[in-house]
Amino acid sequence: MEKKQREPIRNLRRPKGLVKPLTINFIHLRMPWVIAWWSASYLGYAYISLGSYIKGFILIFLEAFINVNAKLNLGILYSLTGRFELAKQVVDINWLLYYVPIYIFSIWGGRQLAVDLNKYSVLADREDSGMIPFSISGSDIAFLDKRKPWVAAALSCLAPGLGHLYTHRIPTSFYTLMWWIIIAYMGHLFQCIHLTAMGNFGGAMAITNPEWLIFLPSVYVFSIYDSYVNAVAYNQLYDHEQQRFITDNYQSLNFPMPK
Amino acid sequence: MYVYASFDYSAFLELAITDLEKRGIAREHILAVPLDKRVEERMVLDTIHRADGISLFDGAAVLGAVFMELGVIYGFILKWGPITWGLIGLFGGAFLGFLLDYFYGRIRNRKKEKATRNQQKTGESNTEVVLTIFCEPNQYEMVEKVLWDNMALGVGKLDRLRNSIRKGGGESWKRSNPNR
Repeated sequence: MEKKQREPIRNLRRPKGLVKPLTINFIHLRMPWVIAWWSASYLGYAYISLGSYIKGFILIFLEAFINVNAKLNLGILYSLTGRFELAKQVVDINWLLYYVPIYIFSIWGGRQLAVDLNKYSVLADREDSGMIPFSISGSDIAFLDKRKPWVAAALSCLAPGLGHLYTHRIPTSFYTLMWWIIIAYMGHLFQCIHLTAMGNFGGAMAITNPEWLIFLPSVYVFSIYDSYVNAVAYNQLYDHEQQRFITDNYQSLNFPMPK
Repeated sequence: MYVYASFDYSAFLELAITDLEKRGIAREHILAVPLDKRVEERMVLDTIHRADGISLFDGAAVLGAVFMELGVIYGFILKWGPITWGLIGLFGGAFLGFLLDYFYGRIRNRKKEKATRNQQKTGESNTEVVLTIFCEPNQYEMVEKVLWDNMALGVGKLDRLRNSIRKGGGESWKRSNPNR
């Protein structure tokens, strides 16, 4: 039984994705303004969402570091609730200005990257390049399969980061799970939820640490959105890979056609 | 004779094909044709089979995050606290974003408003690949069993010999049925 493909792995010049034990990374069509928005919402998320992890983690680390040191979240809180004098006092001007260029860069760069990758995604589709849909190493096993997008979103609702684990996006998953624990603990999220559920709103407000709690919404909603979108694209990648494989291997000229 | 089967993209498709090869069907005697599908209408949620890339999730996620952030912030000066207002913001914003996306998409797609009939009929189980296997009549049961065991959506056969015998025998089927 001949097991070789006709052209073992053809056209690897414009790949659509790569399956590696550490992560399954791929490109697909994105809305540039949505990607830019995620960077505006949380510095570096555009890059994480697009799979550009090293750049994304540099920006995310900077965001957390500068934000906490400059007490930016408290400044936002006081400004938006009309306590401007308090906002001026709390912000550390030794750090604040550094935030601006990083912030602008990450929005601009994220949008630019999305636009560029869209072009290469179209090119990869047209070239119909091959890929190896399974990868195993001493540390992990990664493969393409069919995943239910709503399950990814539901897992991320329960614990941000689990939805990405479901589609083998380990860097996003690891970062989100860890960062969620840190901000939930530092912001006293679970105590706040508990007291809110008991109806003790005053106590819930007193126990929180707004400086950290304000990080939460972006992280939470992003992880739901991104794990869903990622699962959809992951399924599409599976379909395309299998379509290419069977077209290459099971459309022999020697097939005895019905006459 | 020919055996036809329909599948969706999954590991079972490859399991079925390799199983058939292992049981003696030559690779040249297996023909697989992937089908394209008509997807024009934007769908609320992408399913495991279909995705149009512009799901109605974008606007919901963006506005959900904006309003949740505002809910948490203003929750600190409102009575119910940041958690309650954060959740109200999340659901309110997501709902608003969904509505905006939905109606904007409606307006933009007015020209191709109706879902085509073939789209309405396709449910959760979608044919994505049609498989044709050329085999000897005595292999039919084996082939059929392999296909069904690997989650084929439908299996059929084309057996001209049997049809021709029923219609008066031998090689005369072409003459008695010139349209074929």
